[in-house]
Amino acid sequence: MSKRQLAMVMDLNKCIGCQTCTVACKTQWTNRNGREYMYWNNVETYPGTGYPKNWMELGGGFDAAGDLQPGVIPNLEADYGVPWDYNYDELQHGASFEPNVEPTWGPNWDEDEGAGVFPQDNYFFYLPRICNHCTNPGCLSACPRDAIFKREEDGVVLVDLDRCQGYRYCIAGCPYKKIYFNPKISKSEKCILCFPRVEQGLPPACAQQCVGRIRFVGFLDDEESQVHKLVHKYKVALGLRNDYGTQPNVYYIPPTESPAKFDAEGKIIEGSTRLPIEELEKLFGQEVHGAIKTLKDEMAKRKETGESELMDLLIAYQHSDMFRLDNNYYQEVAKAKGQTPLAPVDTRYIAGKHTDTAHAMKFFGGVTSHGGH
Amino acid sequence: MKKLANTIIATSIAAASLMAADAAITAVKVDADLSNVSYGSKVWESAKFSEITLYPQTTIKMNDLKANELNAANKAKKAQVAAVYNGNEIAFMLKWPDSTMNIQKGQSTTTYGDGFAVQFASDASKPAELPYIGMGSEGRPVVVHIQKAVKGFYEPNGNGNVYYQLNRNQTEVFNDELAAFDKKVKNIGSNDYERSFVSEGFRSMTEIKDGSNASYARLGYKDNGWRGTLTRPMKDSYVDLHAGAIPVAFAVWDGAKMGRDGLKNLTSWVSVKLEGEEGGDELIAVTGEQVAGDAAAGKEAVAMNGCAGCHQIEAADAANLMAPSLSNIGGYTTAAYLKESLVNPSAVVVPGYNRNAHSNYMWYTEDNGKRTSTMTDYSWLDETTMNNVIAYLQTLKAEVE
Repeated sequence: MSKRQLAMVMDLNKCIGCQTCTVACKTQWTNRNGREYMYWNNVETYPGTGYPKNWMELGGGFDAAGDLQPGVIPNLEADYGVPWDYNYDELQHGASFEPNVEPTWGPNWDEDEGAGVFPQDNYFFYLPRICNHCTNPGCLSACPRDAIFKREEDGVVLVDLDRCQGYRYCIAGCPYKKIYFNPKISKSEKCILCFPRVEQGLPPACAQQCVGRIRFVGFLDDEESQVHKLVHKYKVALGLRNDYGTQPNVYYIPPTESPAKFDAEGKIIEGSTRLPIEELEKLFGQEVHGAIKTLKDEMAKRKETGESELMDLLIAYQHSDMFRLDNNYYQEVAKAKGQTPLAPVDTRYIAGKHTDTAHAMKFFGGVTSHGGH
Repeated sequence: MKKLANTIIATSIAAASLMAADAAITAVKVDADLSNVSYGSKVWESAKFSEITLYPQTTIKMNDLKANELNAANKAKKAQVAAVYNGNEIAFMLKWPDSTMNIQKGQSTTTYGDGFAVQFASDASKPAELPYIGMGSEGRPVVVHIQKAVKGFYEPNGNGNVYYQLNRNQTEVFNDELAAFDKKVKNIGSNDYERSFVSEGFRSMTEIKDGSNASYARLGYKDNGWRGTLTRPMKDSYVDLHAGAIPVAFAVWDGAKMGRDGLKNLTSWVSVKLEGEEGGDELIAVTGEQVAGDAAAGKEAVAMNGCAGCHQIEAADAANLMAPSLSNIGGYTTAAYLKESLVNPSAVVVPGYNRNAHSNYMWYTEDNGKRTSTMTDYSWLDETTMNNVIAYLQTLKAEVE
């Protein structure tokens, strides 16, 4: 376990499946050098096959006794999908519009399909996924070369590319299949929680670009942080598939809102909900009942009294209200390691437990308006 | 107790060395320059090929479901090996059967290349205390040379040239310039997956990337088998091979069975006699030692002493996470190692699984980085029983395919 843990909370009630996070991540990290097929961040339709295909059935993670379980390494063609492009350059010379690879599978192949019968009871919701930066990572435990490590200062799980020999046991060991094999360099790569951005005061690219404002980022031990309040104080944010035993550090506010079903005549069945609670229990465990109750109670309270800290948190009036990044902390860590601390490039999101509220003065002459609370 | 144990080792080695044993491999002295030796080189015409046996690694079980299925019934493989040396350099050729040629190519997450490795001990001055066969052990480093059939791979940082990491569609160039870009990208890739490692136990294996370890390896497929060669200096900052005989170990991987890392076949330390050089008799005796004991009585002693409480003993027994599996231990260890492990379990501590992977099974305790095995010390066994147990352990190995 690391000294501190950076965590993300995603509010599934607000995700509109626009894939802006996916594109933000892809253009930042995975559009080149053997990573083309990888989605460190993806948004899948649930219920659905997910990405890679049927990842929940591929093993990895730990059993109740704490033993790492064997897993299956997904295949590029069948399970991830080979990325394709089109012959734009040749169109001007009269060529017909053709993909360079016959598309047979890809992420979101079944986007918006969901389950149930349209229009009576069909349903789905979006499930954005990144690496969970687990407290007990399956990938780290599976590596025979000790090439995967968890950063002491913030719990970010990283691959040491010098040590990695491309054995791919990490992929079998990760129950979320969020670590990938880069065939071009023959090494494993994964989401790095945008640590170079976080260290300089910027939220991860997926979180900063999120138009639905579903993502909160902060340290779990920082009692003022949004993630602490959502995970520990209100207990409305839950880990995905906690039964895998890896103790994930990306948490989800379960979807509470779901339309009613229609009967054969197309009339609303009063009191019915399309989203089966069993599906949410499968993803988030029995705790989902408590979380949904708290969310509904707070919604009602807000309706009656106009006040609810939880609702204010979830609404997030300013985007900067969703992040508490601890720049001073990273500066201290850098100094302790004998490195030269880098100045933040953006101070709007810096407001951590160790962050001096007047820090903006030091770097930008106090020109920012959101530097701390 | 300890003293008695040491005496047992000393006596049995003395007994063994009375027999004029032959080295497993004879390195023929040649005048030729060996720096660019390949499998087609003329120098191999004067070499002497010997047969060695490579046993499936079953000490620890990997966590790849499909690979485990493919490797469940692995058998031992026979290979032909020869060595030549010229005083400055030494070269090895390994020929092993493999009915499928597997090359790890780009654009795939599930292909694995065939390959081979040659391991050298940094210090072989005490033949009874050679490094652990699984990539050395604490305080007993080894150097491992690996050559794999991998087609085209790149350095993660593009050798510092970030521009050529771009996807071709994101470059600002078109047509001829784009073709030039593609060509440059292709050129900065490598087609030769040859690596050298220094290691003190398999978790610690670290690639030597500073060029301080010169070597030249080749790999070619012909007639349902691979031929691999490795040339290296007799002496560098990691090993000194100037001796009457040296210990060497070999491993081969089968890509068709998703072989990589521990999913391989390997030999025990085998002795290589450097023709015309003095000495090395003790090493030859130790690496070739077959303990004269009653294996059936040894099997009983193993059962009586509760070894199965922690170890998987025979391949047919249930897997046991508490300690290394012994199902092929006779195939890839020396009798001296088995003795040492029984009388002083902490002399060599097998690194085992990541401690997080099976946290209820403590192979060792760790204090300030010093590992102490959790195995019971069996130095109190009488000499006959000890020899019987070792004789039995030496029978634990897969049959040859």
